[in-house]
Amino acid sequence: MERQSNREGIKGMMNPTRYGIERFAYWLQRLTGLGLLFYLIGHIIETSAIVEGKAAWDKMLELTQTTEGHIILILVIGMSVFHTVNGIRVMLGHGGIGVGKPGRPDYPYRPASLNYKQRLCIWVSIALAALAMMYGAGILFGE
Amino acid sequence: MSKMRESLIMKVHYGTALGAVALVAIHILFRMTQDFSASLQYQSVIANYHFLPYALMLEVVLILLSVHGFNGLRVILLELKQGIGYERAVNYGCLGAMTALIVYGSRTILMAGVGMT
Repeated sequence: MERQSNREGIKGMMNPTRYGIERFAYWLQRLTGLGLLFYLIGHIIETSAIVEGKAAWDKMLELTQTTEGHIILILVIGMSVFHTVNGIRVMLGHGGIGVGKPGRPDYPYRPASLNYKQRLCIWVSIALAALAMMYGAGILFGE
Repeated sequence: MSKMRESLIMKVHYGTALGAVALVAIHILFRMTQDFSASLQYQSVIANYHFLPYALMLEVVLILLSVHGFNGLRVILLELKQGIGYERAVNYGCLGAMTALIVYGSRTILMAGVGMT
């Protein structure tokens, strides 16, 4: 019963405010991953209109090539860039790159793996996503 | 999937990610060879599907992204809750959804590629 009461389930997973920016990056990685999976499914369904002929394709374009459609695409660009760059950070970290050397845990018990390199990579991921979104907006809405 | 080691599944997850990043970059560059809205016109898109190397690349992208996406969803769902029945349902559910998406996407690539439109 005690173990059950400690479970936070989906609420605990969705709370990005605890444990610093690393936890925020973990949360954002999952959120962007889910967003991109939904987009992939939607993209495969929308492009399947091509097999119905030109009229069906043009109708689909009318639905997607709108301001709302462009805003969704800009969000997808941002999600893709963050998920990619942060994913490469996670991959390198799993391989032991950039996580520092293990040391004796002394007060204030800062883990060596959550060092400035990791934090910098997270901020770079966010900055690159923002830049890519601005570039995408420039193309989609005209410069 | 449930018989595979998680370490091997993670290697597949990272491999599909790296492959997808490279190929999706090519997919986006193809859209940028001309004006974005012009590249989405029916004749332009059909011409892309009729170009065999590009159609094959789309098939590979579809497989890589489906495997990566549904394995990612599986990981998220398994982090959320554990249990033999639940884990089996998540593993086979994600495997089934991944297969369905690949089959549906492949149908579009094949039909558009051979001119069945």
